[in-house]
Amino acid sequence: MSRSSKKSDIGKLASEGLWQNNPIYCQVLGICSTLAVTNLVLNTIVMCVGLVFTTALSSMTVSLLRSFTPRNIRMMVEVLIIAFYVIIIDVLLKAYWPEMSGNLGPYVGLIITNCIVMGRCEACGNSNPPVMAFFDGMFNGLGYSFILLIIATVREILGMGTFLGFGVPYFSTPYWDKWIIMVMPPGAFFMLGLIVWIFRTIALPKESK
Amino acid sequence: MVEKRWFPVVYMFTATALVSSIVLGLTGFTAQRVKANEKLTFEKAVLSVLPDVYDQSKKISGLELHKIFTEKVSPPDDSSFGAYLFKQNGQIAAYALPIEGQGFWAPIKGIIGILPDKKTITAIAFYEQNETPGLGAEIAKPQFRNQFKGKVIKDGEKPFTIARPDVALDESSVHAITGATQTSTRLEAIAYNDLKNWQEKMK
Repeated sequence: MSRSSKKSDIGKLASEGLWQNNPIYCQVLGICSTLAVTNLVLNTIVMCVGLVFTTALSSMTVSLLRSFTPRNIRMMVEVLIIAFYVIIIDVLLKAYWPEMSGNLGPYVGLIITNCIVMGRCEACGNSNPPVMAFFDGMFNGLGYSFILLIIATVREILGMGTFLGFGVPYFSTPYWDKWIIMVMPPGAFFMLGLIVWIFRTIALPKESK
Repeated sequence: MVEKRWFPVVYMFTATALVSSIVLGLTGFTAQRVKANEKLTFEKAVLSVLPDVYDQSKKISGLELHKIFTEKVSPPDDSSFGAYLFKQNGQIAAYALPIEGQGFWAPIKGIIGILPDKKTITAIAFYEQNETPGLGAEIAKPQFRNQFKGKVIKDGEKPFTIARPDVALDESSVHAITGATQTSTRLEAIAYNDLKNWQEKMK
């Protein structure tokens, strides 16, 4: 593979993961965590970093092992690899950032069950070289992250009047009657529905009816 | 080779053993740190409910915090029934009573600071809670906790109330968090139990 073609391949992976085949609004994967962690922007950021890290590295590891792993047990091996990376994140957070570990509670462990991670291992890691698998995982993770951050920003501002914990002009004053429902689970459904609708309209104008 | 029937079994075993040993190693390596973090969170909570122990608006390191804790706070003795003691010139200046109970998702553990009259609350703090982020977890935020300062534990059935946000408050009630009814009622129950028990024993 020549250098230039490799570059354009990565570009293609980026546009697929971030836009054309975005895990949230195209593949509609990982919705559970989208609903759960997006009521505060800070929690969302940490969750996204964890997910990008896990998707990229587990996809790469699956790809490295792809010629040795027997096909009939490949899913077990994938789960093992994913769990491995997630536990590492969990342990590191507990040891070096206890406040965040407390905030996120069970959500970190739930990265293991995020369909995006396994989906990328299966769809890309299994059949592509490690570098491709790494970038594919990373861009899918980033595609997930930017949608989550949009949702979290809107929810936190409307629901709590803050952004990253700091007061937002107007929204944190008494003039703004906080929409508590936005930080509760139903708010996530409304936001996600709107986001999927808007982005599908922009990104996939020629979607077959 | 790869086609052999035992290969997947051996492969899975080896992979699991390898991965588990790395994880175990890492957990062992950080175990002390994690434990120290937990202890520090507890000590910080205790110090934060005691009046005028240290300037809480300033950020201090874990080591300094631990030093203040060991210097100023004495562990529960026979006469304090589980409450940590803060003494000044040999006199008890405040109690720090650990409270604990089931929250909405997981146990809530906290500390209530009480003056020597055994009924005026100085502050409340939580060192372990897993309530819903953005809702129940707001109990750990200053906006909620600051309401407790100077409140009085009443005699009788309900020593303390966490009221709906539209209800007028008296000297023994604070406002609950909107959208976190479960957390609020459970926290109220925890406070009832532990405060009542403690007051009875202290009589």
